[in-house]
Amino acid sequence: MDVAISTLLSPIILFFALGMGAALLRSQMSIPEAFAKGLAIYLMMAIGLKGGVEMSKNPLTLDVILMLGAGVLLSFMMPIIAYAFLRITTKLSQTDAAATAAHYGSISIVTFVAATEAVRMSGLDSSGHMVAVAALMETPAIITALILANRGKKREKAVVGSEQGELVREVALNASIVVLVGALIIGWIAGEEGTASISPFFVTMFQGVLCLFLLDMGLSAGRGLRQGWRQLSAATVGFGIYMPLVAAVLTAGLGFMLGASTGDTALLITLAASASYIAVPAAMRLALPKANPSVYLTLSLGVTFPFNVTIGIPIYIFLATLVTG
Amino acid sequence: MQMHPMKRIELIIEKVPYNRACRVLEAVGMTGYTVMPAMAGYGGGNRWTRESDLSASRDMVVIVSVGEAHRVTEAMEQISSLLGDHIGIVTVTDVEVLRPDRF
Repeated sequence: MDVAISTLLSPIILFFALGMGAALLRSQMSIPEAFAKGLAIYLMMAIGLKGGVEMSKNPLTLDVILMLGAGVLLSFMMPIIAYAFLRITTKLSQTDAAATAAHYGSISIVTFVAATEAVRMSGLDSSGHMVAVAALMETPAIITALILANRGKKREKAVVGSEQGELVREVALNASIVVLVGALIIGWIAGEEGTASISPFFVTMFQGVLCLFLLDMGLSAGRGLRQGWRQLSAATVGFGIYMPLVAAVLTAGLGFMLGASTGDTALLITLAASASYIAVPAAMRLALPKANPSVYLTLSLGVTFPFNVTIGIPIYIFLATLVTG
Repeated sequence: MQMHPMKRIELIIEKVPYNRACRVLEAVGMTGYTVMPAMAGYGGGNRWTRESDLSASRDMVVIVSVGEAHRVTEAMEQISSLLGDHIGIVTVTDVEVLRPDRF
């Protein structure tokens, strides 16, 4: 209960609530677009560096490799479960359901950061390699979703004007992955000593910048919800709430089998329960243009993200504590 | 002052696949085009703004190009196939230009 209250009352979440409330009340407040993109790059760099530095302190063990493998497996499998739920409980088409499922197999790096802070506030330790797990979980879900969307359909001819490898580039080399993985490797190579000179910028300022970013996220989520709520049925909104919980329970079981620490298990659960709203939507517009972006974006950013950062994370930490004893 | 007839093609197209349209315009020999970002809009029963989408996946751009009629026709045929299920509007209008040697 204490974790839930301290998470809800942390400045990060309060700034998110401020942004979301302002957007829902139709405030004109906005963060300049280029600045918001800069904030996102800063956050990815800071998270990557932090993870890389932590990884440099510990050798790459079998446990770490198993955790990385578990992340990839979850990202591949979660869209299948999400797709089944969507097809059974909602009236979404095959394409819409597959595109939405891709978002729920991939991850939200901001939810991950919020969970890392909540784990730290709970007095638990987490490992730096969880950042690598997060990076690895971004893309496999997209592949599964494309298979689900194209099941039983004829292979289409190449689109006029498209370049070979266009989709692969969009999926595997999108800005968030390049910056996150790049910074992770730099942090790993440079280590704690090597990054000491840049830590005032990437470590000391991190919390403040995160508040600014969450304010912008709140504005985006609120505006997205205001503009797209008509596209969502009650069953679809319900999916945005219960799917993270289903993913959390399944991943808690996996965490138990892996024998990971409570902090790492909480983060793995959070990653599996989170939904993408940056990397996957762009890939879906390119690969599945027929899918309705109002459905998957409103659901992942307007429903699941607010749920996860307010109520979900304390539940995931509780679940991790339960399974790791 | 003498003006010269040309065709102007305008595409309001999703930002994600806009490079494909640019490649088509280049391939048919259009001598130039300009791409402009769209701020916000309404279509398919939804309002959208650049501000509500961090992924920029719903951003739209406007591509404008002016050229000779036969090139614009060829570009239109290919762009029609390119658009497929993507959101977009394509218009062609008659225009007059001052310097025909530029096209």
